[in-house]
Parts: sequence; structure tokens; C-alpha cells
Amino acid sequence: MRSLSFVRLLAKELRELFASRAFWLLLLFVGLLAGHGFITAVGLYAEMSGSGGPAALPQGLNSLDGVLVPTWGAYDLAATLLFPFVAIRVISSEKESGALKLLLQLPGTLVSKVTAKATVLLFAWIISWVPGVVAIVLWRAYGGHVYAPETLNLLLGHLLRGLLSGGLAVAAAAIAESAASAAIITLAFTVGTWALDFVAAGRGGFVQQLASYTPTAALRSFEQGLLRWNAIVVFVLLSCAAFGVAVIWLNTGQSNKSRLLRTLLLLVVMAGAVWLAAGLRASWDLSENRRNSFSAADEATLQGIDQPLKITIFLSPEDPRLTDFEQNVLRKLRRSVSKVEVDYAASSRTGLFEGAEEHYGEIWYELGGQKIVDRSTIEEVVLEQIYKLAGVNAPERSSDDGFPGYPLAAQPKHAAAIFYIFWPLLVIAMWWLSRKV
Amino acid sequence: MLRVQGLNKTFGRRRVLSDVSFSVGTGEVLGLIGPNGAGKTTVLECIAGLLPSDSGRIIYRDRPLSLNRRKEAFFYLPDGILPWAQQTVKWVLTFFEKLYSRTPETLAALTAPLRLEEVARSRVATLSKGERKRVLLALGLLTPHPLLLLDEPFDGLDLRQTRDVMSLLRSESATGRTLFVSIHQLVDAEKVCDRLVLLNDGERVAEGTLSELRAQANLKDGGLEEIFLALT
Repeated sequence: MRSLSFVRLLAKELRELFASRAFWLLLLFVGLLAGHGFITAVGLYAEMSGSGGPAALPQGLNSLDGVLVPTWGAYDLAATLLFPFVAIRVISSEKESGALKLLLQLPGTLVSKVTAKATVLLFAWIISWVPGVVAIVLWRAYGGHVYAPETLNLLLGHLLRGLLSGGLAVAAAAIAESAASAAIITLAFTVGTWALDFVAAGRGGFVQQLASYTPTAALRSFEQGLLRWNAIVVFVLLSCAAFGVAVIWLNTGQSNKSRLLRTLLLLVVMAGAVWLAAGLRASWDLSENRRNSFSAADEATLQGIDQPLKITIFLSPEDPRLTDFEQNVLRKLRRSVSKVEVDYAASSRTGLFEGAEEHYGEIWYELGGQKIVDRSTIEEVVLEQIYKLAGVNAPERSSDDGFPGYPLAAQPKHAAAIFYIFWPLLVIAMWWLSRKV
Repeated sequence: MLRVQGLNKTFGRRRVLSDVSFSVGTGEVLGLIGPNGAGKTTVLECIAGLLPSDSGRIIYRDRPLSLNRRKEAFFYLPDGILPWAQQTVKWVLTFFEKLYSRTPETLAALTAPLRLEEVARSRVATLSKGERKRVLLALGLLTPHPLLLLDEPFDGLDLRQTRDVMSLLRSESATGRTLFVSIHQLVDAEKVCDRLVLLNDGERVAEGTLSELRAQANLKDGGLEEIFLALT
């Protein structure tokens, strides 16, 4: 009986979704955005694959960076600016029409009612992926290479991104009186996470750790082919917390004080769970070119170092050398060495006025009471220094890294017609049909 | 069947309900009457558990009823709502019919007297005020709860429709179902209710049958209007 009620609630939510213009507008615009991203990316990929550029460039090309991430970037934009409106409508339309008063009295718990809404939102998000999946199919049809593990990892990142985005919007709609207020709360949260990303860059410590779980930062690791267990758990926990807040605030029979206290309690419990989850270190490098890992020989050698490694970096957050060092070395070191402590020691944000400071540009490595200083951000040089400190010999590295690169000078045939003409017509036809049923 | 004891409610500094108490007997039609702003809707929403009360007890069949269990005991039909506006009337009615495992015959028995066949294919958003009210009444009557709380069930209905709905409510009551209705039109309340609770400025002024209220107001004859004016 309960499951039957849930199915009926699910069917109701589905009908309401199809009756929502916000949903059809999401489908319409996400197709155009993904199409534009795909056509531009394929064109650039072809240019880089052609003759005339540096010879090494085509050999380093891969579909993930070249085509898939730019195309699916449309979904990051959609999760920020379009999908929240679909999610807000799921709650606000019933609040504003008074239907919520009936819904709250229908069979089933409030948790099951919000679960039905969350399920339908997830369905809506996955339906909106059709243009992105069509882009992958087209890319394969052009002869492009697609590496399944890193592609599926990218899709998982966008799935979790959508879930979190939907959860936050539903929570905002449950708290706010109107859809407009809910939209402002949701966008303010997004802008806040962008600010946190900016502030935390190169800062280290708690702020940087916190910023690594903002939607944009967490999605970035999926875009780089890295599957982080802690990112998945934190995404899911935050999404559950957001839907939990919605359950608390939709219970209109409770006083505001009671709902506020329950919300605070939930947030405290969830903050503890997130803190614990952040400690999960397991991660898998699913990228075909193993960009998140050192060579197997280096990884084996580094894993043998059991003493804590302290790195002090005298580079400011906006110094491109710090970005290089983060992406080429630190990201891999954190995965390979069990205890790495990083101290960002530069005192200014830009580094423009730190020329006089004698340490600026230096990177200090400390292991087992010994220190060594260097200025290089090149992987091989850094590893040499660490091996020297640890007193181990550098392993033999193979000259062939195993990644052949996948240059492809293809033109995005039929893509414009599919994304700019066929898809909008299909969405409009489906919307029209849904109104007839 | 239902006893409301010492119900109090304030919005900010404004006291909306002040120590409201009354009882509803099984199978009766109890009217909650009072002018606009008297607190009728607030009483219904506090009882239904959709609005928190500051204090007070709801006792159902001699046991205090917790907030979580109220929707099992009774169903509250609000006034002036527009549920699932983009759906057709037929779908909304069928949704309730299936959700509460009612038979198609039950639904058919409601659609005829409420004249809903002619609007079955229309979207809820396109209905007139009276049509919306009839759809809402059908939703309420489709629920299986032994006690139904109705907020202004005649609001928006014309004379003929009001008579039809009154007849429908009376026949529903005859099946043993209890109805607690808020009505601001005293003439309608007089016709349909077995007993009445008079509410004014958030306070219960009187409770009883028409003749009991007349006695409380020291009137030998006269309708509810005269009684209400005498008591407030």
C-alpha cells in the first residue's frame, strides 16, 4: 500500500514536471549550449591535430580535455543557472497554489514525498543529458576516441553536481516564501562558492580543504579523470542534507523555532559526517593518460616513504608556477605519499611585489629532519629532490609513457543541424504533445 | 468524536485565537461561523496540523492526537487554493480516487451532483471560481476520513449550486461521516448545520444548536444573524 502510494506520488511529480515550462526551457537551452560547446571543441581539436603546430601537440591530445569536458561544460552552466529553476518550481508551485496543504495530508510521510520529488528531479537532470550523449555518439561517429572509464567518471561528476544543485534549490524553495526569493538564495549560494574557490586558491589549510568540496572544484576532479571517494561521499551527504532541510521546512505544522533548531541539528550532524568523509583518501585515476599519477615505478618508490613530507611553497596564489606545481606535482604527491603537509608561505596574493623577498620562488622540502630547497616545478626534478631526502634511488622510468594521443582533424558534420534545428524542434514537439496527454 | 481544548494562536504580537474550545459529535454537521477575520481558517489549519498553535489540545475519540497522526484522523479542505493548475480536472480527481483506493463508482457519484463532467477535460487553471470550488469539494469527499474539515464550502457557488452542495453534504453526513465546516454566510450555515460554534475576534462566543443559541442570546425567535448580533 505504501509503495503504491509512493508510485502514485511519483507519477504525479512526473506529470507536474512535464507541465513545467522551466523543464522544457532547460532541455531547449542545454541542447543549444552543449551543441555550441561540441561544435567549437571539435573545430579546435581539428586545428590542433592538423599540421603546422608543434609536433608534440597532436601526440598529447585526448578526447576528455579536447571535446568531452568543453561539451559537458554546458551542464555545469545548466546546473548553476537553469536546473535550479526546475527544482524550485517543484516546491514553489505547490506552495504558491496552496496544493502543498493537500499534499501534506496525502498518504505517505513527508520524507517519501520529498523523495518522490528528488527522484523526478534526478530523472529530469538525466533526460537533459540527451544532447551531451548525442555529442559523444557523434564524436565516435567522426572517428574520435572515447575512453569509457574517464567518460563515465565525467558523467558521474555531472550526476552528483545536478543532485546537489537540485537539493540546494529544493531546500531554498522550502525555506523561502516565494520562488523569486528561493532563486536569490540559490544563486547567492553559488556565488558564495565561487568566492570561496577564489579566496582559497593557494591558501592551504582548512579554507583550501573546504573549497575543494565546492560544486565547481569537486566537479573539476571528475573532469580530470580522478575518482575521489571523499568527493562522492561529500556530494551525496550535502545533497541529502539539502533534501533533509526541505523536509524540515515543508512541515508547516512545526513552529519556525522548532524547524530552525532541527535544521541546525541536521547541519551539525552533517558537518561531522562531511568532516569524517573528507578524511577518506581512496581515489582512482581513471584518465587514460594517467595525468593524476606518477609512473608506476615512482608510485611504488614513493609509497615506500613512510615519514611525513613537509613542503613549504613561497609562491603566491596567482603565480602560474604555483598552478603548474599544484597540477603536475602536488596533486599526484597527495595520492602517492601517505603523509604530505603543504604550507603556502607567500605573503601576498599576486607576488608582484615580493621580488625583494629573498625566499620568493623557492620550494622547501623537509623529510626526516633534513631540508632541501629548489625552484623547479617540473615533476622529474621534484621527485629527484624527494628521493635524495629519503635516501632512496630513483627508479628506472620507461621512456614510453603508454599514451599515444588521439589527434583527429574532423569536421563537426551535421552537428549544427542536430543541435540548433532538430533538437529545439523535438523539444517543442514533446512539450506540445505533453500538453495534449 | 473531536474535542478542541484551549487553542491559542498569535501571529507576531497579534492574538488570532484566544482559548478556543468546542467539540464535534460523531455524524453531525458542525458549523464554525463568524465574520471575516474571526479566525475560522486558523482554527481549521491548527486542528489539521498545517499551522502550529501556541497551545491547546486536540482530542480525537478520547485520546490526544499527535501532529503526525492528524492526517489519518481527518482531512482538511482549504478554501481558495488552486491545486495542480496545469493538470486536467479528470486527472486530479482520478489521482485522489486511486490514491485513496476509491472505486470509480464513488467518483461517478460525486461528479454528477457537482456537475463536473462538463469540465473534466479542462485544466484546473482555466476553471471559474465556482467550478474550482466544486472540484475541491469532490476531492474532499473522495477521501475516506471519518471527519472532514471544510473551509467555506459554499464560497463562489451560485444559489442552485449551493443548494446542490448542501444536499450532497447532508447525504454525506447521513452515511455517518462527520463534517466540520466554516461558513461566513449565516443563512447557509443555518440551513446545513446541526450545531454551531460562533467565533468573533478569535474567541468562542457560543456553541450549540440554533435553539440553544437563541436561548443564550435571550431571543424568542429570529435567525442566526440576529443571534450573532445579540451575542457579539
